[in-house]
Amino acid sequence: MSNNNLALVMKERAKRVQAVTVTVHHMNDVLRYTIDLTLQENGTTIAAPGLDVVNLQKLEDLCHASGLQLLHPPFRSHSSGIHMALTGADRAIAETGTLVLDSSSEDIRIATMLSETHIAWIPASRIMPDASALSAYMQEKMASPPGYMAFITGPSRTADIERVLAIGVHGPQRLHILIMEDSPS
Amino acid sequence: MIQTAQDMKTYRDRIHQALENKFLRKALDNFASSYKVSRAKAFEGIDLEALRHQLADGKDQALTHLESLFQQFKAKAEAAGAVVHLAATAEEANEIIARIASDNGVHAIIKSKSMTAEEIHLNDHLEAEGFKVTETDLGEWIIQLRHEGPSHMVMPAIHLSRHQVGGLFSDVTGKPVDLEDIDRMVKVARKELRPVFLAADMGVSGANFAIAETGTLGLITNEGNARLTTTLPRVHVALVGLEKLAPDLETALRILKILPKNATGQALTSYVTWITGAVECAASPTGRKNLHIVFLDNGRLELARDPVFSEALRCIRCGACSNVCPVYGKVGGHALGHVYIGAIGLILTYFYHGKDNARAIVHNCLNCQACKSVCPVNIDLPYLIKKVYENILKDEGARPAKNVLLSLVMKNRKLFHTMLRMASSLQKPMVKKDAAVLRHLPFVFGKTQEFRTLPAFAEKPFREQWPSLRPHIPNPSYRVALFGGCVVDFVSPEQAVSLVKLLTAHHVQMEYPMEQSCCGLPAMMMAETETAVEVAVQNLQALDSQAYDYILVLCASCGSHLKEGYSRLLASKPELAEKLRRMQSRLMDFSSFMVNVLKVTPDAFVQSHTEVAYHSPCHLCRGLGVTREPRELLGTAGLNYIPCADEDVCCGFGGSYSLEFPEISAEILRQKLDHVDATGAQVLVTDCPGCVLQLRGGMNKRGSSVQVRHIAEVVAANLKSL
Ligand code: SF4
Ligand code: SF4
Repeated sequence: MSNNNLALVMKERAKRVQAVTVTVHHMNDVLRYTIDLTLQENGTTIAAPGLDVVNLQKLEDLCHASGLQLLHPPFRSHSSGIHMALTGADRAIAETGTLVLDSSSEDIRIATMLSETHIAWIPASRIMPDASALSAYMQEKMASPPGYMAFITGPSRTADIERVLAIGVHGPQRLHILIMEDSPS
Repeated sequence: MIQTAQDMKTYRDRIHQALENKFLRKALDNFASSYKVSRAKAFEGIDLEALRHQLADGKDQALTHLESLFQQFKAKAEAAGAVVHLAATAEEANEIIARIASDNGVHAIIKSKSMTAEEIHLNDHLEAEGFKVTETDLGEWIIQLRHEGPSHMVMPAIHLSRHQVGGLFSDVTGKPVDLEDIDRMVKVARKELRPVFLAADMGVSGANFAIAETGTLGLITNEGNARLTTTLPRVHVALVGLEKLAPDLETALRILKILPKNATGQALTSYVTWITGAVECAASPTGRKNLHIVFLDNGRLELARDPVFSEALRCIRCGACSNVCPVYGKVGGHALGHVYIGAIGLILTYFYHGKDNARAIVHNCLNCQACKSVCPVNIDLPYLIKKVYENILKDEGARPAKNVLLSLVMKNRKLFHTMLRMASSLQKPMVKKDAAVLRHLPFVFGKTQEFRTLPAFAEKPFREQWPSLRPHIPNPSYRVALFGGCVVDFVSPEQAVSLVKLLTAHHVQMEYPMEQSCCGLPAMMMAETETAVEVAVQNLQALDSQAYDYILVLCASCGSHLKEGYSRLLASKPELAEKLRRMQSRLMDFSSFMVNVLKVTPDAFVQSHTEVAYHSPCHLCRGLGVTREPRELLGTAGLNYIPCADEDVCCGFGGSYSLEFPEISAEILRQKLDHVDATGAQVLVTDCPGCVLQLRGGMNKRGSSVQVRHIAEVVAANLKSL
């Protein structure tokens, strides 16, 4: 399957599990999206673990311009106040609409677990058809411990009360997946 | 906290109470039907059978060397900074975990869901040691607040209504909670538990698998609480049953592919967490997580070596065997298990929580095979349940009088048949004229049996009619023997008479070997294995003639017992292997013979277009795997088959089960008959004489005009006269 097709499957499956998916073409789109969504949700804080310095600076500037606060690590000290988490994803699994995040860094874990909304971007080329296609990658990760790998499929959910699906129990209440495709130039 | 009935009287009282809970029944009913749909959808396009086999084989393989997998895991995980423990017993595990907590100056503990922790009653122990323990899985938190055990292995609070949960939450928070708004209730839990997560010093989790090759723990979850439990506190203790050891990533991926789909119909849960070693943790003085992995033996190593029961350790705790169990659907998990619930609970309770807790609940199985048909690791649950019962009988030394009597009589065919004839003449004064049912029930049955009429014994058993019925077909197309079974022979010989008519019309020479006896299934059901073996050997002799092309059964239960049951019963008698193979290769149910061998065509039948509903007997659709042929045969025979809801759900008969648990049997039957009534058909057809008894008795009792017939009867009735 081509990357394009995988991206299509990924989107369709992620939607089934209440994730929002969007196509983007540039890191700037990702940063803009993050600011806009935070504002829209009346959030005030953003944590962006793992973002490279250049983009981090850009995000800081955007935050500044929009009256938002970019949180600085360690995020444990902000554990009650993270509205938005912005991270990359290392891989994705199209078949189930799953994001794969190496979460060995505590900041990534805290941001993606305690935030209200999680935005993750992923280059289309890193979408795998299914979990078995991921085995070499997982093998490699597990062979260099310590490590904490996370498969994330939609926002946190429960059906523990009368089997009624409710979204957002202990983890993020919303998950947005930004699939980065090459610019249609 | 969990109090399971230890004798039948208390247990029947519990069941009576459970059946009074209308909310529970409705909730479980809805669940049972929606589960089947979502499961089927989740497995669309997946070769489930192949996957099940792979998984089961892989598990069996691993079970042969758990100790070395443990050593491998320990070496890897410890190299990555974890401390790995092995607890021989539940007490030892509790002590290890409490010691980890006190050594690290822990006060507050949070837990994510773990059936293994429930198994050892970890919370009780930690609380007694002065620790504050909070469950964080929503369902577990709810039952912790109510001081109850789980009523389902995946959805622990499925027995509670939103109103009960809302009321509980408003008590806990001291604030009013909208009793209808489930979303709000979930947010209450989010809000209430967040500070508890943040303040905890230690997190306790379970694991769905432990990969030996890399020392990795895997957690398959939805709410996100297990992620917080394993991340926020400085100490993480994972409690893992030894059977969760998987050799490699490939095995783990297989579990991942099947578990969420089979458990909840989800393609994948929201989260899958893979933890290898002690990751960074700023809350810990060393900057790295204080990770302890406690493996629990508690009888597992011994169980793994057991030739019969080891397969119970394949269980991946998906809960499916509860979801489809008709008994679970009526009484819920608190009445069908101790800590572990449903079919697997009836088995594991004996091994992990002792015979006292298993003694009563182990009876509560219809042998309907529904659990077995959905188990992702192919555990023969109904068989193991009977084996547990057998073990309990052995442990207790004294067999119940009914067992002794049954064995005594059944081993001697002549005595057995004489007694059936005697019963027939004794009941004569009680038989309603023209109805062939008992006017009033003999006092031994008592009031609880009144949910259905019971049939009278036939005036003349089939075996006595046979000499005058036996046709002589010159140059027959086939020669077949009928294995009648007790019900056809002594209660419903008209079913066999119908067969004679059909076979004769199709130039088939039928025989009725007179030395045949009861198939032995009732003995199996009462765990009288020795007797079951003896009658199996007798029947094998009786049916062993080169002269028969096929051996037909009108009773699905006999059929599946002759097939699957005999293979197991006679496995230790290699001298009979050839005879067994010969018998089984010729064994066939009535419909399959008509459709696949005789290939009957519509022109042989009056096309009456009578509307008929169909009940698919457990031992036909699951036992023998026959589903297409009976439905096709109805059409060919000129009947108009109207599909009905839950056709393949048990009718509640289960042989002696309906005598043991009449209230449950009645409830299962009621639902079945409601479904049939909804079709509007005036005839209900099935292909097992036991089901006919139950269904007909129920329809009679309702005063319904719906006729219940064995498929051989309705097909024969439409045969064109020559
Ligand atoms: S055989 Fe039927 S009644 Fe027995 S445990 Fe399995 S599903 Fe329940
Ligand atoms: S016994 Fe089979 S069906 Fe039941 S919980 Fe275990 S794996 Fe699931």
